[in-house]
This record gives sequence, C-alpha cells and structure tokens, in this order.
Amino acid sequence: MTALASPPPDADALAALITQVAETRDRQAYAALFKHFAPRIMAYLRRGGMGAGEAEELTQEVMLTLWRKAGYFDPLRAGAATWLFAIVRNARIDRARRRRDATLSGAPPLEEADAAPSAESMSLVTEREAQLRSALNSLSPEQKEIVQLSFFSDTPHAAIASKLNLPLGTVKSRVRLAIAKLRILLEDPS
Amino acid sequence: MISHHPSPETLLAHAAGTLLAGHTVVVVAHVQGCAHCQAALTRMEALGGALMEDLAPEPLAAEAFAQVLARLDEPAPKPPPPPRQTNLALPSGLRLPVALRGAQIGRWLRIGRGLRYSRVRLPWAPEQNVMLLKVAGGRKVLHHSHGGMELTQVLWGGFHDETGQYGPGDIGEADETTEHQPIADPEGCVCLASLEGGLRLPWFTRLLGW
Ligand SMILES: [Zn+2]
Repeated sequence: MTALASPPPDADALAALITQVAETRDRQAYAALFKHFAPRIMAYLRRGGMGAGEAEELTQEVMLTLWRKAGYFDPLRAGAATWLFAIVRNARIDRARRRRDATLSGAPPLEEADAAPSAESMSLVTEREAQLRSALNSLSPEQKEIVQLSFFSDTPHAAIASKLNLPLGTVKSRVRLAIAKLRILLEDPS
Repeated sequence: MISHHPSPETLLAHAAGTLLAGHTVVVVAHVQGCAHCQAALTRMEALGGALMEDLAPEPLAAEAFAQVLARLDEPAPKPPPPPRQTNLALPSGLRLPVALRGAQIGRWLRIGRGLRYSRVRLPWAPEQNVMLLKVAGGRKVLHHSHGGMELTQVLWGGFHDETGQYGPGDIGEADETTEHQPIADPEGCVCLASLEGGLRLPWFTRLLGW
C-alpha cells in the first residue's frame, strides 16, 4: 500500500484526454477517462435506482459511446463532464425506451443535431463551469439535495417527497424555489 | 426569430431526463431549432455534469475495463430510421422534426371545420398523448384544458393569442391555469403537441362543443 492515489484529472485535462481519444484513438487516454468517469456514471445510475448489474452494463455502453463519439466532443461548447452527462442521460432514457419497444435499436433516438459552432474559447467554457460549480456549492444543503434529487431520480418529486418526508405539494414548491435560485446561475451571461 | 421557449422548469426536467416521453419529443423538436435553448440546455447539463462529478465513485467489477476494451472495435450500431410520413399531406416546405424519428404518424383525421388531427404514436411510450394538428387560416380555437401540462410547437404557419404571436419554431407551454384564445394566422398552422394525461383532445375541444 505504498502507491499514492494520483489526484483526479481536472476539467481541462479530461477535455484534453477526450480530444486525444478522438484524434489518435489513444487507448491510454481512454483508460484514464474510464478510470475517472466509469465509477461516477455508475454512481449516477445507482442513485437513479438502477440495479448494480444493469448499471454496470449501461456504464460500459456509455464508455463505448464515449470511444465512438469522441470526435463529436467540442471543448469550445461544453466541458467533458457536461458532454458525458448528456450521453449518460440519453443512454438511460434510451434503455427505458428499448425496454418498451423491442424494435428500437442502435444510437439513442435523442441524439441532438449538430449544434452551431460556438464562438466561445475553451477557457471561457472552463470558467463558466467553474462558476456554476461554486454557485452550486453555495446552495444550502437542503436546496442542494433537492437539486440532486431532481437530477438523479426517475420520479423526482415523488422521490424527494418520500426521502424528505414532505407532502408532494411542498416538494413541488421547494423544487420551484431551488430552480428559481439556480435560474440566476443558468441565465445567459450575455 | 423564435420568441417563445419552454419554461426553465421544463427545460431542466429535459436536461435531467425526467420529462415525460411525449413532452420530450416536443421539447427536442424545439431545442434543435433554437440556439437560445441549446445554450440554456448546455448550462443545465453542466449542472448535471457537476453533480455527477461530485458523487462518491462506485467501483465497477474488476474485469469491466477489459470487457469494454474488447468491444472497442465493434461496429457502431446504425441510427434509427427517419420519421415515417408517407401518408401525411403536409404544406410544401414543412419537414417533420428529426425528434419524431421512430414515431408512428397517423393519417390526417378531420375532426371539425378547418381542423385536422394526426395521432403520433411513440412505440416506446404508446400511452403518451402526442399529435400533429392542422388548423385552417383564421380559425379561432378556445383553450380548454383539464389535465396537466400541454406543449405546442409550431412547425409551419402560426397563431396568436393574448400571450403573443407564435410562428415556426415557437413553443407554447400551457397548464390547467392557462386561459387563452388562439387564432390561426391567415395561412393556417401546423403544430406538434403533447398533452399530459390520458388520450384527450387539447384546447380546441370547446370549439367542437365537447
Ligand atoms: Zn428556445
């Protein structure tokens, strides 16, 4: 037990790794991405109530998607975690769809069209996401929990109600309040 | 120029992946044509990404990475087919949104003077109430909603009501508290709509005396 765990790569390093995978199919960069993201994707899916086996399977699919779609990653548009979050979310929805409709196969139907090229620089994206993160950390613990549950639960309002032991109506108004507070963070700075 | 967007709550639910399947189709149709909402959605996804990064990592099975490595050279799966619209007469220049990929789109049914309806069945969520609506020019339609949220995305033509003018790309969001009286523009209007709750007709029902 002598080896020290290396510090997790920061946002810029993660973006650079994805670009490396896109440009040179670098499996070492891919391994670093897997090490960082796979356990977090797993945690996200488990928080949403998915069983361990299914969550692991879907995590593997998401990591395969990362390998295949790395060329679509645009660091001028979004950070690595942002981009990957959208992939995970779509994969989760797609899995639910496929469970209902056996004829569906292949790429997530939710895949977005190519966005217009961004005029922002990479440092702006990094800065904006850092601001978002600090604003998120400035929320009260209850508000942060409500935001987390809004993102991580399949039936957010009902889940929040039972988790926090509150009536559904109260939950809905608290969610609204948390969103209103976050709206400031989410507004277009321009 | 798009001037009506989904509410932040709706967009956030979409970002989180918790929006109803029917509403999701309509919101995706809007976002694909709206740079403003694309940017807002990216900011919300950044929020999701930050929250995901904050979670305590959960280890995968020891062989997980080797299993993925072994699959890297598999061919990527094919994308699903574009929306089927063979039997649907549409105004020239109108293309159905890519968001309708995989949906089964029914024929136009005449359900009243100047009013046609086509059921959009989502095979992955057949209970969802999604439809295309074609309203003739100048038709006045009364809002009459009983259930939850309704989303209406203008695909062609337009309408106006007390809340403003809606043209191609605009989305109207209404719930049981909304009272308005939309009037179709002279050239008419084609919309994609989704309604929360069971199968029922949207705001034009009072026009038909239902
Ligand atoms: Zn918009």
